[in-house]
Amino acid sequence: MTLVFSNLRKQYGANVAINDVSTAFEAGMIHGVIGPNGAGKSTLINMTAGSYTVSAGSISLDGRRLDGMKKYEIANAGIARTYQNIRLFDQMTAIENLEVCAYPSEVNHTWREVFWPPYGRARAKARRESCMEILQFFGLERYADVEAGSLPYGRQRMLEIARALAMKPRVLLLDEPAAGLNHHETAELTAKLAELRSPDRIILVVEHDMDLVMTLCDRIVVMHHGKLLFQGSPSEVQASSDVQLAYLGTDNDIDDIRAAAQDRRAQLGIRARQRS
Amino acid sequence: MSSAITSPSAKTQALRLTAFLVLTAMVALIVATPFLPNYYIRVANSLLIYILLGIGLNIVIGYAGLLDLGFVAFYAVGAYTYALLASPQLDLHLPFLVIVCIAAFLGMITGVLLGIPVLKLRGDYLAIVTLGFGEIIRIVINNVDWLTGGPKGIARLDKASILGVDLARPVEIYWLLLVTVLGVGLFVWRLERSILGKAWAAIREDQDAARGIGINTTTAKLAAFATSATIGSIAGTIFAASQRFVSPESFSLQESVLIVLMIVIGGIGNILGIAAGAAILILLPEMLRELAEWRILFLGILMVVLIIVRPAGIVPRSFGPEKLIRGLFGK
Repeated sequence: MTLVFSNLRKQYGANVAINDVSTAFEAGMIHGVIGPNGAGKSTLINMTAGSYTVSAGSISLDGRRLDGMKKYEIANAGIARTYQNIRLFDQMTAIENLEVCAYPSEVNHTWREVFWPPYGRARAKARRESCMEILQFFGLERYADVEAGSLPYGRQRMLEIARALAMKPRVLLLDEPAAGLNHHETAELTAKLAELRSPDRIILVVEHDMDLVMTLCDRIVVMHHGKLLFQGSPSEVQASSDVQLAYLGTDNDIDDIRAAAQDRRAQLGIRARQRS
Repeated sequence: MSSAITSPSAKTQALRLTAFLVLTAMVALIVATPFLPNYYIRVANSLLIYILLGIGLNIVIGYAGLLDLGFVAFYAVGAYTYALLASPQLDLHLPFLVIVCIAAFLGMITGVLLGIPVLKLRGDYLAIVTLGFGEIIRIVINNVDWLTGGPKGIARLDKASILGVDLARPVEIYWLLLVTVLGVGLFVWRLERSILGKAWAAIREDQDAARGIGINTTTAKLAAFATSATIGSIAGTIFAASQRFVSPESFSLQESVLIVLMIVIGGIGNILGIAAGAAILILLPEMLRELAEWRILFLGILMVVLIIVRPAGIVPRSFGPEKLIRGLFGK
């Protein structure tokens, strides 16, 4: 199974967001997409999932063209995604958020479900059980009947990935899954995502957290100004001087940035403690 | 119930008591009504018709989150279907049940026809277009004199009867309505809990994310419009059969607004809430007849107070029928 971008282009007026990107994503691996802000990482996900149209080139999964399909058709072709800003069905419970993903395969039996109570009960039970398994995997089972919108932020991030998994996807697109998570939660997320690696699943992670990308991903695609700058294994990416210059900066820069980030975290921590 | 100090068992007991009281009151009312004078039975009938309409409109507004202000159009479709097929107007006298089926079908078609052009609209825009649709239907009925009798309406409609049993006296209509409301209520409640109902909720919460998990929002929304319109149309048929007279006056914008108000005040997305909302908006004006012209003012003030005190409605979404049942059997 392969997800292929060929000569992909996205243009807003004169502004080119994605410029002639060609690459392929194999199943069984976790692929990282990194690059500075505005490099076009999220645009790639949004085009694959059908949220944005494709200006030129094509996206195909196992030879089947995805670009030009409607958003729900792309989802039904096996593409699941999460969003940079969490988009759960807030007033539905956590488990309902997952259960509703059975819609495409079960909607044709709606009348039977409504008019034949034993069938309806059996369906509801089967749905709940299979979704509960996914919740358990993410350690969310005790939140099953809690409204999704009232969950803590970190749990919501997990729940969104759980919802994407409930679609039984062949391609899982994660748009900054670690954004806003603390150290502990990020570690938990990294462990869970590693377990999701499967020979019949393509996983694509857009992420700013370099530790997560370098430990988790088998292959990394580096975007810069809408172009594909480099692709290779984490160690190859770290060794590439092009990537260092374009994105990571020099070795010294990295240390500086890390130090600055640590300071910032410490400050925030102090402030949070003062408030509480 | 909301108090944090009450222990879980006290909470369950409070719920059980509430459930018991609500159900007893409902059963008592249902059983007692047929023995009351005709005036009360007529009020009860009017209440039941509005509950039926509320249940229908709630599918679109409460479940799918689409504000529809033209619902009364489907009510009119049902009423005029009966008026034309069971009166001297066209000299047709079809049996009641046959007309109900025809009206349900026509309602569904009208629902889809309204649904198609408004698929892309939401919120205020949808409200304005559906409002226009409701007015179009009323104005057409008002002007196609040769068919609908224009403003004069159609009189001398046939008595409804099912399997030789006449349904004409208020008490007979009452039983017909009661059975219909209970049947439709059960159907819609199960529909809400089905996979389609969950998809409607997802569309209401975030339409784009709903598409992202593979929901064809076009067909799901059309299903909501069609089901809702079918129920509205069936309510119209029973209304016509009980009045034995129809005229465009009964299908004004005010009726649509009244049904929306019932849903909002009672508790959006909750069948129990709709019954409560209908009870307040239909029964209170009757009780307040003494106040004569002050009645509307009083009702308006009450509505404002209710919306401020209970913005989620008298019976919130979370207190649905399943909670009552669970409360009663302590599960």
